[in-house]
Amino acid sequence: MDDDRQFTNRCACGWEISGSEDEVVDATIEHGRRIHNMEATRDQVVAALHAPPVVDDAADAKAG
Amino acid sequence: MFAAGGPASTGPGAVDCGYDGAVSRTPAGWDVDSPVQAEVFVVWLDGDQLQLTGPDGPQPWILQLGSVEHPVEVVDRIVRDVVGPPILVHSTSWRRDRDAVILSFVVVIDRELVGDMASLPIGRAELARSEATAAPRAIATGAVVEHGLRHLAWLAKDDPVVAAELPAGWQPILADYVPEPFRNLG
Repeated sequence: MDDDRQFTNRCACGWEISGSEDEVVDATIEHGRRIHNMEATRDQVVAALHAPPVVDDAADAKAG
Repeated sequence: MFAAGGPASTGPGAVDCGYDGAVSRTPAGWDVDSPVQAEVFVVWLDGDQLQLTGPDGPQPWILQLGSVEHPVEVVDRIVRDVVGPPILVHSTSWRRDRDAVILSFVVVIDRELVGDMASLPIGRAELARSEATAAPRAIATGAVVEHGLRHLAWLAKDDPVVAAELPAGWQPILADYVPEPFRNLG
């Protein structure tokens, strides 16, 4: 089941990649190294892909 | 720099909301986070109009700078690898932003390197002026670019290497900019 999951990763610069976890991780590491001089590890990218969603505090305040 | 989209809503317990399954939730957030970062403005001359471009289009191009890396060498290397050989690479200002020290660079490239990178004409802008003992309260990107080109105008008159390297057509364009040395913008 997990092998079928699709992931998407976006860069603040506008670059975006979708695919399997391996595809997204590899492309993210390559994009970071080539375009932004970043040396991200596989674990760092995987952790970001599985991180909980960002909570919009402003939206929550309005809703609350 | 990267904002992770996480797994699509196709697994157990996922709710089919009818959206594109490839993007399932708010990005978690990933960004260039080094304490010193480079902000690159790639500039080229289109006739008598300066244009801003880069691999991300005309927006500032952010680079991570390691603690043992020389900022100019990093900018030159990355621009060379991604865009092609630059004509000039110059740091033009610094400021505090993004929880880091941001070094702004103006990079001059030949128009032949622009290819399909999106460009935007550079307009004039007011500078972000410091107070007597404090940084400006807000600094717009246009102000950073304006100062960068004023710095380049200063170099074009003061630095014989810059004067020699600038392609024909640049000097009269830069003559419209008030020359300014490198400085702290905030």
